[in-house]
Amino acid sequence: MARILAFVLNDRARTDAVPGNLLLLDYLREVVGLTGTKTGCDGGECGACTVLIDDKPTLSCLTLAASVEGRRVDTVESLGTDGQLSAVQRGFHEKLGAQCGYCTPGFIMASAGLLRKNPNPSEAEIIAALGSNICRCTGYVKIIEAVQYAAALRAQGIAP
Amino acid sequence: MDALPAFDLLRPTTLDEAIRIRVAHPGSMPLGGGTDLVVNIRRGIVAPAMLIDMNAVSELKTIRADARGLEIGASVKLAELAGHPDVVKHYPVVAQAAGFIAGPTHRNMGTVGGNLCLDTRCIYYNQSEWWRSANNHCLKTTGDICHVAPKSRGVCFATFSGDLAPALLTLGAEVDLVGPTGRRTLPLSKLYIGHARQGEPVTETRGDGKYFLSLRPGEFVGAVRAKNMPELRSAYDKIRIRRSIEYPVAGVAVALRREGNTLADLRVAFTGTNPRPVLLEGTAALCGGALDERVFKGLDDLVRDQIMAMKTTFTPGHYRRRVAGVLARRLVTRLFTD
Amino acid sequence: MNKIVPAHNIGGYVPMIDGPEKVSGRAKYTADIMAPGMLAGRIFRSPYSHGEILEVDIAAALKLPGVKAIVTGADCDKTFGVLPIARSEHPLARDRVRYRGEPVAAVAAIDDTTALAAVRLIKLKVRELPAYYTAKAAMAPDAIAIHDKKPGNLERDVLFELGNTAQGFAEADLVREETYNCAEVCQNQMEMHAAVADYDAVRGRMTVHASTQVPYYVHLMLSQILDMNMSRIRVIKPHVGGGFGCRTETLNVELITALLARKIGGSVRTVITREETFITHRGRPETDIKLIIGLRKDGRITAVECECDQRGGAHSGYGVVTILYSGSMLYAIYDLHNVKYLGRRVLTNTPPCGAFRGHGTVDIRFAFESLLDRMAGELGLDPFAVRRANYLNAPTFTDNDLMVNSYGLPECVDWVERASGWKARKNTMPKGKGLGMACSHYISGASKPVNWTGEPHATVKIKLDFDGSVVVLSGAAEIGQGSSTILVQTVAEVLGLDLSRIRIVTGDSDIVPKDNGSYSSRVTFLVGNAAIDAAQNLKRVLVAAAARKLEAKPEDIECLGELYRAGAQDKGASFDEVVVEALKDTGTITVTGNYSTIPESHGGKKYRGAAIGGTMGYSYSAQVVEVSVDEETGVVTVDKVWVAHDCGKALNRLTVEGQVQGSVWMGMGQAMSEEVAYHDGLMLTANMLDYRVPTIQDSPPIEVGIVESNDPHGPFGAKEAGEGSLAAFLPALTNAIADAIGIRFNDLPVTPDRVFEAIEKRRRALGKEKNSSGGA
Ligand SMILES: Cc1cc2nc3c(=O)[nH]c(=O)nc-3n(C[C@H](O)[C@H](O)[C@H](O)COP(=O)(O)OP(=O)(O)OC[C@H]3O[C@@H](n4cnc5c(N)ncnc54)[C@H](O)[C@@H]3O)c2cc1C
Ligand code: SF4
Ligand code: FES
Ligand code: FES
Repeated sequence: MARILAFVLNDRARTDAVPGNLLLLDYLREVVGLTGTKTGCDGGECGACTVLIDDKPTLSCLTLAASVEGRRVDTVESLGTDGQLSAVQRGFHEKLGAQCGYCTPGFIMASAGLLRKNPNPSEAEIIAALGSNICRCTGYVKIIEAVQYAAALRAQGIAP
Repeated sequence: MDALPAFDLLRPTTLDEAIRIRVAHPGSMPLGGGTDLVVNIRRGIVAPAMLIDMNAVSELKTIRADARGLEIGASVKLAELAGHPDVVKHYPVVAQAAGFIAGPTHRNMGTVGGNLCLDTRCIYYNQSEWWRSANNHCLKTTGDICHVAPKSRGVCFATFSGDLAPALLTLGAEVDLVGPTGRRTLPLSKLYIGHARQGEPVTETRGDGKYFLSLRPGEFVGAVRAKNMPELRSAYDKIRIRRSIEYPVAGVAVALRREGNTLADLRVAFTGTNPRPVLLEGTAALCGGALDERVFKGLDDLVRDQIMAMKTTFTPGHYRRRVAGVLARRLVTRLFTD
Repeated sequence: MNKIVPAHNIGGYVPMIDGPEKVSGRAKYTADIMAPGMLAGRIFRSPYSHGEILEVDIAAALKLPGVKAIVTGADCDKTFGVLPIARSEHPLARDRVRYRGEPVAAVAAIDDTTALAAVRLIKLKVRELPAYYTAKAAMAPDAIAIHDKKPGNLERDVLFELGNTAQGFAEADLVREETYNCAEVCQNQMEMHAAVADYDAVRGRMTVHASTQVPYYVHLMLSQILDMNMSRIRVIKPHVGGGFGCRTETLNVELITALLARKIGGSVRTVITREETFITHRGRPETDIKLIIGLRKDGRITAVECECDQRGGAHSGYGVVTILYSGSMLYAIYDLHNVKYLGRRVLTNTPPCGAFRGHGTVDIRFAFESLLDRMAGELGLDPFAVRRANYLNAPTFTDNDLMVNSYGLPECVDWVERASGWKARKNTMPKGKGLGMACSHYISGASKPVNWTGEPHATVKIKLDFDGSVVVLSGAAEIGQGSSTILVQTVAEVLGLDLSRIRIVTGDSDIVPKDNGSYSSRVTFLVGNAAIDAAQNLKRVLVAAAARKLEAKPEDIECLGELYRAGAQDKGASFDEVVVEALKDTGTITVTGNYSTIPESHGGKKYRGAAIGGTMGYSYSAQVVEVSVDEETGVVTVDKVWVAHDCGKALNRLTVEGQVQGSVWMGMGQAMSEEVAYHDGLMLTANMLDYRVPTIQDSPPIEVGIVESNDPHGPFGAKEAGEGSLAAFLPALTNAIADAIGIRFNDLPVTPDRVFEAIEKRRRALGKEKNSSGGA
């Protein structure tokens, strides 16, 4: 049965009719057309689908769309302003935190969630926060550098 | 895009409303973070007609922790529990166990109720519908044999893998259960009924591995409670092949009390080995003296007798059992000497 | 005024040119392509390991409302496969199913729910046949043939002996034999396989979007399978979420989706699940190795004998190439003579294996470097000294005729020895900690392509138009390895222009020149050289135009990128002015650049079975791995890795570092936790929980040293950087564990339970010894 879902998606209020069994991941990609959020596994094992719900990194592949009623959902498409990349995006681009780029939106959202809570994380805190995400290309070394760089850019007010 | 079977989802905001929905929809299931249930639905393991999202039920979202007691609502998120300063301070075993679960994003989602009621796991069970059907299913679902123990008559040996239960068991926790017939409180150890001996009937106190929780129809976990025993030192540790995105190969909780040079109290509980979390029986007999080889030997014997790891995971059962013993020894030593 | 100088574009840290799309979520991958009305494709897969097909009953499924088409083996009697000599696979099984998960039928329906419901209604009836899940079982004398043309289930056996091994072993001070087993592993790239096919029935044209490393091979196989003229097919490769080799051949999902699209005369998108992606497989086969090395006291290797069995799975794939590489690539890293190799590639009832990063070389290198390390210890030699005693003297040809022109292995070895502090630390490590080292190498593209057509090995086009933009057209498949960035850098470097002037178009067969694809690390070397050639051809045109404009002789024209001038005093003409001049007579300019490997690099002319492995340049790698072993639990932690990689010349230090780190780390997964396992042919580990790719919390810092041996043929001296460092990790790890706890592991992965078991075994053995000596 479809229910009315009203929530805030990437800073815009949105209302949709969604069936109970629709995953937030499929809703974002197939219904809204926000394909930045990726599918990397059959459920809960890779982090490619990570979005922020009320600023907290969440796996959209295990979240039912109907359950985000009244909440705030941010996807990778919400980052960056005025055509500029956000600090986290710049970090992943400039430090090569992204190779094939498929895991990247998930990592970027998990990192953005971390920096919103903890603007100046230690290396150990970065590693702890990104533990639900798999990357098959980078070996993670440059992902850690990317997040450190992003934190520095934000601290210096260079990028939001 | 994943084609899930059709179901409806409701979001009650009060416990009464949740109970009412549950009564009205016998085919419904409570939904916490969905980190176990939604995976199982996607794999066609369960197909509830209705999910009751427990995350908006305000009564279930609180943590009360101080030097006297601990009470955690079923809808509390694992991340909140792991980081709660008073839980960390007074009930380290619980905070540590919560902080070890799955991965950081999973802990933003997973709830205490879901973790306590986590379905048991098996390499022949946690597979896709195509896979299970190609393998003729098994008796935990619609089949009639057990691939782990082909001689089993009706009993499933799937492993309980939740991390919170052993931690709470060492604190002697109780659970509040709420349902259509009211509330009741049960020692947490009684929630887990594992499986009976082969061929014995299933009752509220003896499961068959498929039915491994003593929940009555329509019952929820409302909260879990423990009293503090100020002298008790506690800690949690676990072995995993990876440090994240991983269920326990074996998890161990230890709580002990030291008086002078004497081991005055000892509780040891395990997960990731048996069809239920196991609070070792017989540890009292090891207390009353120094922490010496006798205690360790006794502990080893108890582990050997009570911990039974079958071939339900890719990692061999033998290793799971042995390493569980090693972790127990280590934690006991560390807590005693700290 | 700033002095105008040509822009320098190579040798620095250059972020990838397509990075902004990836970090903003705008990059489109195949599954992101959707259009209204597109149908959902879904595959019905065999639940049986091996059986003769009696019936595929699709009647009930066809009746389901919303089902638009179903295809089965009856819709296509053609076969496909990457090697022209081994095309044994049908996109949908006919007559027989050979592994659990083999596609049998496929549905196109209005949505995924309907497609899945239809798949559930399909019934397959078979007469079951005996199934073989190990190489040994498949080779048993009474085993029936999985493919009629392959008696004994031998896909290919190779035997060669170069030199005289008997004599070599006789000259050795120590001869040792060991056996090794490496579990099957899978690429498990983050993007699941997907294809979108659109059939224009009016014009009889097929367009396929595929997540592939080899759009050209997909094109060839589509033509073959659909029985369509190649000119009617268009293959587009959108962004690709990794490949690591599993996408170096056409996959059944691409062909099946095209069959569906043609049948309905419309568009179909098939996105398979992670489980299906695992089963599509093409990973590294389970490998059993028996290795004998003869070693002299001075560290020289006198002879090598190697036997290698690979469980190849149910179809040929790249199998023949894999088993040949495993033999031929014993060479070209050390100065070896007297080598005997016996390789067997075996067909089994498991999903087909393929080419996985480090193709053919990894498991053999693990065995070789492990045994060498063990024997060095037994002879009291330092592991570094043993490697140094066996260096090649480049330029040279190996006994199996492989051409080695540049050889940076010595510098790699020196670098990791220094960086890791080996000399000072090696014998002072605390209990449970250890250091291990090993070396490896890889090719920079096979000198002979799989499909030999007589064309150049690589072709690049550059288009220059009125707007002054330089557009590189290349078929090279960017899959995240940074090939597009390298080609842009290369062209910019030749023309002395800033990177921002250059654009690149790839991945659309209607527009770009054909390219064999991204595999065996061929792109930087072969396509890079073609890009240089194209850029030089363009520069020649521009210099001629500048000469006309400046009324000078072409040989007097100096190109400074944004400025062309005739001598230092000349005011010159800007790039834009030169472009206007150049276009005057011809209009839009397109130039072509080609590259072909030289015949000397083709290798193996003289020896059967050594006829592969030839390349224009070998990369080299050395590694030191530091570990801690928890002897009570068996848990191994990698604390740090130092790796030096000879990539000839680092065109882009950022991407070289990224590639090397990624390779080392992927080697770590294979060595420590990854394993494809089966239960009666059903893949037990077809998910990302049980197939354990290391997480960030399991992954060590990896310090990279770049060694530049400046290959005489490489583009600006470059060789490959994306594969050669994978293999050395495996033996460096087990050598480090041996250093830490004195136990050598010959079987991979080294999981905690295996370490625990081995420590227990030793404890029991020691206990027995003590008891028996106590009793004596
Ligand atoms: C990759 C991965 C790794 C994991 N690793 C671990 C691990 O290491 N340790 C571990 O313990 N778990 C692990 N998990 C499982 C899971 O994330 C946690 O156990 C989590 O706490 C489950 O809570 P949930 O709220 O998400 O449960 P849900 O999935 O929402 O529910 C689980 C079960 O509990 C029932 N339930 C939920 N709430 C209630 C209630 N109030 N009363 C009665 N029944 C209820 C549901 O109906 C369902 O049957 C892992 C999961 C994944 C995907
Ligand atoms: S233990 Fe046996 S019955 Fe239980 S899930 Fe595993 S195979 Fe099925
Ligand atoms: S898609 Fe893999 S965790 Fe969500
Ligand atoms: S960049 Fe390819 S998976 Fe992470």
